[in-house]
Amino acid sequence: MWIVLGIAAIIFISAVSMYNSLIGKRNQVQNIFAGIDAVLKKRYDLVPNLVAAVKNYMQHEAGVLTGITGLRAKAVSGGLSDNEKVELDNKLTKAIGGIMVAVENYPDLKASENFLQLQRSLNEIEEQLSAARRAYNAAVTDYNNAVEMFPTNIFASGMNFKLKQVFEIAEQERQNVDVAGLFKS
Amino acid sequence: MKTREDLKSFFDVVLSPGLKELEKKRLKVLNSVILVEAGVLAVTLLVAGLVYNSGGGEPLLSVLFIGVLVMAGLFAVLTHSFRSPFKETVIRPLVRFFDESLSYTPDGCISCDLYTCSKLFLHHVDEYRGDDLVEGMIGKTRVKFSELHTQYKVETRDSKGRRQTQWHTIFKGLFFIADFNKNFSGRTVVLPDQAERCLGGFGKFLQSKNVSRDPLVSMDDPGFEKEFVVYGTDQIEARYILTSSLMSRVMNFRRKTGRNLYLSFIDSAIFIAIPYAKNLFEPNIFRTLLDFKPVEEYFNDLNTALSIVEELNLNTRIWSKV
Repeated sequence: MWIVLGIAAIIFISAVSMYNSLIGKRNQVQNIFAGIDAVLKKRYDLVPNLVAAVKNYMQHEAGVLTGITGLRAKAVSGGLSDNEKVELDNKLTKAIGGIMVAVENYPDLKASENFLQLQRSLNEIEEQLSAARRAYNAAVTDYNNAVEMFPTNIFASGMNFKLKQVFEIAEQERQNVDVAGLFKS
Repeated sequence: MKTREDLKSFFDVVLSPGLKELEKKRLKVLNSVILVEAGVLAVTLLVAGLVYNSGGGEPLLSVLFIGVLVMAGLFAVLTHSFRSPFKETVIRPLVRFFDESLSYTPDGCISCDLYTCSKLFLHHVDEYRGDDLVEGMIGKTRVKFSELHTQYKVETRDSKGRRQTQWHTIFKGLFFIADFNKNFSGRTVVLPDQAERCLGGFGKFLQSKNVSRDPLVSMDDPGFEKEFVVYGTDQIEARYILTSSLMSRVMNFRRKTGRNLYLSFIDSAIFIAIPYAKNLFEPNIFRTLLDFKPVEEYFNDLNTALSIVEELNLNTRIWSKV
């Protein structure tokens, strides 16, 4: 009798701890995604400053600046799905990268204190973003392992937990830098 | 960075004249040590012999014990007079050789508050000692380090009810603090990973259940993850501080020094503790000072601390902290 009760108690405690750990891991993924969102917002807040700092110099790149302002407006308007946020973020990364390359043609702008300060802030945000992505990937891997591994996978399928995608580095970022190409005008 | 050749010429030109004077003092102190210690040893053996003849046993052990104690005490007193001129003639010029702007306080040390604030060692401290404090700027980075020795005591009672006190070391070695080049508000602690090295996956499981520490942070560099365990209050911030580049720099530094490293990042500062078994920057009365080798050893120990800024790239200021 006691043995049966003991076994039942062990099964119950294990079930509760597995259930809680699954929920904990799912919440961790959501938490860190919220962290990414916060960093993205910081970057969107910086866009008007960046545009204001460079627009007097960059007459030829006016189209890029309008594009970047449009991206920001879309991002802050809200109501975007997670996938749309990620897509918008990738576009903005590319656009800001483009501006930073174009700045090389304007030595006065490059040396201005205002721009240097902006560049520092952008570097900081880029590094925070990369940290947030790494944290997200670690949390997703942890969550996916729990969803796929025995015995937590039994609970996961019962609770309808699905595998989540990790952040992937965009194809162009993964390619080796074409140094020769950089110097072609 | 200063090279061995720079040090050699510094030794020949700047240090040597002072060392010759100091060597005379050392020989004088050594002679008095030998004389006094020999005298105490002779008296101890004489008394021990008398006690032995009258029965031995516990009184004999007490006599020998007191003899050793007196010898150790006298050794400390006699050599103490040599310590201060040694530090002024050897260590202070060596510190200035690295950088003129660095200040050196032979009897100063990192404060107990900073040691506690680092969260590197959580055990309560009963005895806090330290010396050889070096402070100043290396490039754009403010640094501060000293030797530290922290201990806790355990009191037990033997079968006869006598109280015995045992001292255990918590940390002994170099304790280094510098301004970190990024702003952050949380707490990230990086410790040598003994549990995972010994117990593998089970070790990691135990670490994740460590209630005395903040939540475990799994890093994405397998080499780093194998050698270190990371605890932090913020998963994102821990990775913001520990970028791939900083992780590989920490591993390189660990390989170069061949020592365990304890690191923490708190209040925009970096704390590093490097354990040493020996007493750092202390004179050895039995070894000549005219050789280059001992000076080179002091230089290497100083270099371990002062090279941290360069090794971990702390002078890079591309973020908003300037």
